[in-house]
Amino acid sequence: MDNSTEILGLYPTWYQPALGSGWVLGIVAVIHVLASHTSVGAALVSTWLATVAVRRNRPELLEYVRKYGVFLLVFSYVLGSITGPGIWFSATVASPRGLSALIHSYVWWWATEWVFFVIEVVGIYLLVYLAGKVDGRSYLKIAWIFGLASWATMLVIVGILSFMMWPGQERWFSEGGTLNGFFGPYTFAQILSRTCFMLMAAALAGGLIAAYIRDGAFRLEMTRKLAWVGLFGAVLGAVFFQWGLTTLPESAQLLMKTRLPGSFVPTMWAILAVIVAYFSTLLLRPSALKAPLAAGMMVALLIFGIWPEERARESMRKPFVAGQFVYSNQIVARDVPALGVKSELPVLESRGMLAVHPFIPEHLRRVDAGNELEAGHALAIVYCSNCHGLGTTGTRPFGEMFAGNRDAEDIERFIKGALVTGNMVNMPRIPLRDDEAHALALFIASLPLWHSITR
Amino acid sequence: MDIDTLYALRSSSGLPSHPAVFLILLVLTWALHMIAVHVMLGSTALALTGAFAANAHWRRLGSAMLDTAKVAVSLAIVIGVAPLLFVQVIYDPFWYVSNVLSARWAIGFIVVLLVAYWAMYHHYFVGKEGSSGSSRWSLALSLILLLAAGFIMHVLASQALRPELWMAWYAPDGHLETSGAGIHEFNLARFSFFIALAAPVTGAWLLGYRRYLAHREDENPEYLDWIAGLGRKLMTGGGFVVLICYAMWMATLQDTAGNFPLSLWSFLANGAILLLILAPALFRSPSGSYGAFATAAGAVLLVAVAREALRHRILGGAHGYELSTYTIHFDWYSNALFCLTFVGLGGFAIAYSIAISWEAGKTKGLYTASPRVDRLGKFALAALCIWIAQYFFFGFLVMAQ
Repeated sequence: MDNSTEILGLYPTWYQPALGSGWVLGIVAVIHVLASHTSVGAALVSTWLATVAVRRNRPELLEYVRKYGVFLLVFSYVLGSITGPGIWFSATVASPRGLSALIHSYVWWWATEWVFFVIEVVGIYLLVYLAGKVDGRSYLKIAWIFGLASWATMLVIVGILSFMMWPGQERWFSEGGTLNGFFGPYTFAQILSRTCFMLMAAALAGGLIAAYIRDGAFRLEMTRKLAWVGLFGAVLGAVFFQWGLTTLPESAQLLMKTRLPGSFVPTMWAILAVIVAYFSTLLLRPSALKAPLAAGMMVALLIFGIWPEERARESMRKPFVAGQFVYSNQIVARDVPALGVKSELPVLESRGMLAVHPFIPEHLRRVDAGNELEAGHALAIVYCSNCHGLGTTGTRPFGEMFAGNRDAEDIERFIKGALVTGNMVNMPRIPLRDDEAHALALFIASLPLWHSITR
Repeated sequence: MDIDTLYALRSSSGLPSHPAVFLILLVLTWALHMIAVHVMLGSTALALTGAFAANAHWRRLGSAMLDTAKVAVSLAIVIGVAPLLFVQVIYDPFWYVSNVLSARWAIGFIVVLLVAYWAMYHHYFVGKEGSSGSSRWSLALSLILLLAAGFIMHVLASQALRPELWMAWYAPDGHLETSGAGIHEFNLARFSFFIALAAPVTGAWLLGYRRYLAHREDENPEYLDWIAGLGRKLMTGGGFVVLICYAMWMATLQDTAGNFPLSLWSFLANGAILLLILAPALFRSPSGSYGAFATAAGAVLLVAVAREALRHRILGGAHGYELSTYTIHFDWYSNALFCLTFVGLGGFAIAYSIAISWEAGKTKGLYTASPRVDRLGKFALAALCIWIAQYFFFGFLVMAQ
């Protein structure tokens, strides 16, 4: 099917003024990362503990595995299994073409992950409900199938996420093939660092269960075991994370240096130091383990570890949102000869967004004196609202930009000089025609008026 | 939306296999998902009834069904991932537009489902064995929210079938409406049909449950007969309700569906419902039957086929949208990867999981796996190790090139 029609395949836009659609997606994703990382790490830890329990005939350890499994079922699996598809839903409404680009290239990989996901969920039930009810050899098989299937879900998703950042091999653009897009240095760096961080998260979560063990000696033993796992995960994870940073392309390195908030690096080191100190303390004084403390550490990891890390990952791939060919504002901005994908920038440059977007009302197809403000609003919705609040709220709101300057001519000059030409390293090129640039500038300059009209 | 625009909305990346493959998988996995959804809704309703009942049989069944419901929610969610994936692959223009137009509801779906699930767990941990716990209300809340989640999915699916109205919804009076707050299209008869299906499917589940309990020597025969009687009533009575809902749905179909109610596919759906009504008469064994549930599963699959035919009638017939024209960029590796993982690895692992939980459930005391069951587990484990090995093999191969 030839897609080179007069109309581009752009979707309607969901504009969320309070947070921004990107943040909604980010919040769902961060919760999912915590739950899924804990699940996978805990699956590996449970497999190890179940093996020790069966081989050394330690029923109390088996009981710990069972209780840990119940906790995972209620916390990680409920949260993870719902926020997983939840990411699809939120990406669908925030970035339909970005998601579509990933889905259409990696559908079979995702379907493969789904097979592992089914095995994993069935596995956690078996691990919980068959503890002490089947022979040891069978229980070990259940544990290992569960653990390896869980880890395999990570192996699959890591490659897709790596592709989302940038295709593993540059030849993917010319030759195609999911393998070329999937595997790159960043993929392997992520496998190692994520596996370690998953073990760390599992050790934090495991502490919540260990804190309630009544047998004092066993509680100390479990606390030490988990502390070792946590320390190992935190330290090695940090090493592999640093290695991962060296595999980033030059553009990402530049964005890391110039666009991330100054607090990013200190925050990451601080949370790592706190976690290392926490596990070290537990090693020296296992009796210090208390459930509220373990829960607090989980929350700290979510807020000070995962959230900034995920934000940094989002920033590094800018201005693209998928595979270095779909912009964050949904426009295909690069040819992918292997798939017959054409950049839409030339069409937008020559014909204008308003003329070729299928979801623009007919009276806005051409900018004229009677519709400039509304046309500008439509352009802002399509080109800008994925990343900017069109007022004073949301992410990077227009109301706080241009240093308070509301002069339409100045804004138009900036748009033409920096955005139409693509001179902003972290922003998509916005190939506006002159009349469109004028309308957009007018809209931005008239924001207070616009809001008073539309309120 | 004209057909050129609908085609333009397709992913320019194309598909890695023929769309027919995805269509078949979509129908198959959607049917599996719906079976889990029906058991989930039915067992939750029975658990709720049991939680408020004084009758000993009801209370006992309610407790057992709570266990079923909790697992069924998991399975419904997990299995539901697959049709959610495949629908985006081949019906991307329709699914994505519909979601964006009701974005708040699509996001709300996540929260609604989360609260529903945790409300169920709240009752499970706090009030499962209690007789007057207020946690019963959390189970009621759970059921209401599960139905609400189903309604949101129904809305998203319905809006996807209305390309001719999208622009009017997105830009009413010519002004962009980007809040995603609206619910634009629903059909209560269609929604009721799919919800009512839970009754006969759960009835069939009870007949299977009764058969399963028959293995236990110390079971109360009166309780077992009561379960079988309830199962039959749900199948037959519920089946008639489903039939009425179906008739109402067909009577209120949108114009673009044409003469679908008189099509072969519609007769197929009717046949499936009749099968549900007649199943108790077909499987009359006093000790219950697994055949009734197999029949119900088959009936849901037929309904899924008919539902897909309706979508094709609307999108293909009225709008000229042909799935077969989707661009294909065949990717041999990922095709092989999924097929071998699904059939080989998944087949062994799930067969092993079912076999061992089935046998362990029937055994009093410790169950020692039979050589056959043990072999299944070995195959599953070996397949997993091979899978991981090939992953790194191909990974390093790509890196070495």
